[in-house]
Amino acid sequence: MLNPSKSIILLAGMVLGLLSCGKDHNDTGTEFAPNMYNSVGYEPMTQLQGDTNKINPLGMNMRLPVAGTVSRKMYSGVDSLKKSFLSQELVSKTIPNDSISYSEALLNNPLVATPENIEAGKLQYERFCQHCHGETGKGDGPVAKAYKGIPVYSSDALKTVNDGHIYHTITHGKGRMWPHGSQISSQNRWKIVLYVHELQKQ
Amino acid sequence: MFCKKSTLVTFLFSLALLFATASASYSQDAAEGESLFKNNCAACHNTSDEALVGPGLKGISERRPIEWIVSWVHNPQAMIASGDQYANDLYNKYNKAAMTPYPNFTEGQIKGIVAYIDAANAAPVAPAAGAAPAAVAAPAAAPSSGGMMELLLVGLLIIMVLVLIALLSIVNTLGKLSGTDTNDSGKPFFQALSENVKSLAANSAVKTGMIVLVLLLGGKATIDAAYGIGIQQGYAPEQPIKFSHKLHAGEYQINCNYCHTGVYEGKGGNVPSANICMNCHNAIKRESPEIQKIYRALEKNEPIQWVRVHNLPDLAYFNHSQHTNVGALECKSCHGEIEKMEVVEQRSSLTMGWCIDCHRQTDVNAKGNAYYDKLVEVHNKDSKTPLKVQNIGGLECSKCHY
Repeated sequence: MLNPSKSIILLAGMVLGLLSCGKDHNDTGTEFAPNMYNSVGYEPMTQLQGDTNKINPLGMNMRLPVAGTVSRKMYSGVDSLKKSFLSQELVSKTIPNDSISYSEALLNNPLVATPENIEAGKLQYERFCQHCHGETGKGDGPVAKAYKGIPVYSSDALKTVNDGHIYHTITHGKGRMWPHGSQISSQNRWKIVLYVHELQKQ
Repeated sequence: MFCKKSTLVTFLFSLALLFATASASYSQDAAEGESLFKNNCAACHNTSDEALVGPGLKGISERRPIEWIVSWVHNPQAMIASGDQYANDLYNKYNKAAMTPYPNFTEGQIKGIVAYIDAANAAPVAPAAGAAPAAVAAPAAAPSSGGMMELLLVGLLIIMVLVLIALLSIVNTLGKLSGTDTNDSGKPFFQALSENVKSLAANSAVKTGMIVLVLLLGGKATIDAAYGIGIQQGYAPEQPIKFSHKLHAGEYQINCNYCHTGVYEGKGGNVPSANICMNCHNAIKRESPEIQKIYRALEKNEPIQWVRVHNLPDLAYFNHSQHTNVGALECKSCHGEIEKMEVVEQRSSLTMGWCIDCHRQTDVNAKGNAYYDKLVEVHNKDSKTPLKVQNIGGLECSKCHY
């Protein structure tokens, strides 16, 4: 009959054969006509392996905007709201990080606290703030337990802070919070300000 | 038995007494102090001696005179500026993080907070001692569904092999009993097996059957491979930093948009720049070798070379904001449950058929979007089905290929 050592070798061979069928997760698989897949123009979020960009620093397709320039999105046309977003942002950019009192005095929210704007602010708050500051601004989001030191919006120190204070804090950071100006557009930061005012009352 | 019970009773009684004395000392001031503390101080201070952002406040009433505490709470910056030795030591010890001033707190309120801190520390710690030891063995990680499938297959294979062996031995025994192949009885198993296989192979019906089977299997494998060209479904490349979406998006519930900033505003989803990592990792897990890689990249001002997972060919145009913002699709409808992935994997096939399928089935998100009002009106005139993406050009070649 089949001797045990042989049967074990047979089994082991079968098992190995089966397991080796797994796909390599680092492999993109076969590509047909890659010259139609890969962009001829420079794609900022794509960089082929071994393909260094000869114009940009570090050989990257992506590059930083020129220092001191304002994005075209902020272009102030006839739209007066856009114009005031732009002027507020330009003022905010000139205020040093540690001078929150300037922001308190100089900045005003171009947006009116309509229910729609507050709702839009809530959406932005959920995306950018909630994981630390918590659903109701009590500083009890899931990240707060690890990061620590997240204040309560309705606390005596914060319940009366104004538009400029909140906008400055989001843009330039304050205390343990780091600047979030690069992540959130100026419009959305003002929307968040509206919603934070709602949470201060809670 | 009785004796044991009585000691237990005494213990419980003394515990109750301890609670009673604690709650008796818990005055009105302390009750107000508690709500003030939780609302204003708890973010940075513990009532125990454990430091948070600022020092733990256990025993503060013994450490500092109440007048000092009051003026510190009212204006810590002024205290530091005045050259107070203790205030300056404190400021330097805690990374020069200035405490928020609370000038509006009355002396009574501050005394209440201190009373609350004392009361919180006077509370018996007996229940904590009786609590289960903190070190509970973490439950063994459940195997992923893929691993389960593999195990199941291997198990089935083993069972099949065992059944095969059993059957062969039965055939062998039966053969011996019937005495038809007495010649074979002395032959080793593999020799007998090879002879059997040879005689089978000689049979023309079996031959034809085998050829057809091989052709069919080969054909299927070829077609499968051909269909797999250019499809990267299941691609889960190793990243230069072992970032876990399961931890960040799952456990910590950080919204996708927090890091992928362009996802509602532009064509691409944006791989985050290192300053976004630093919003948390300036303080969290600083000593981890993976986090150190971020610091190194920042110090050298070099990009982190993340490997892009979802590669749509250049011949097809795709815009995120069109789908997430206007179409109000959730990220997971294309990317799968990222919040459960340790390493991100391409879940959808991203083939044209996959795009088209969705465009055929999905209703246009026209609610509250005045742009579509006229279109919906015209569409509803001669159609009973709601306005689908295919009705507004979702199947036009030049929408995506140009």
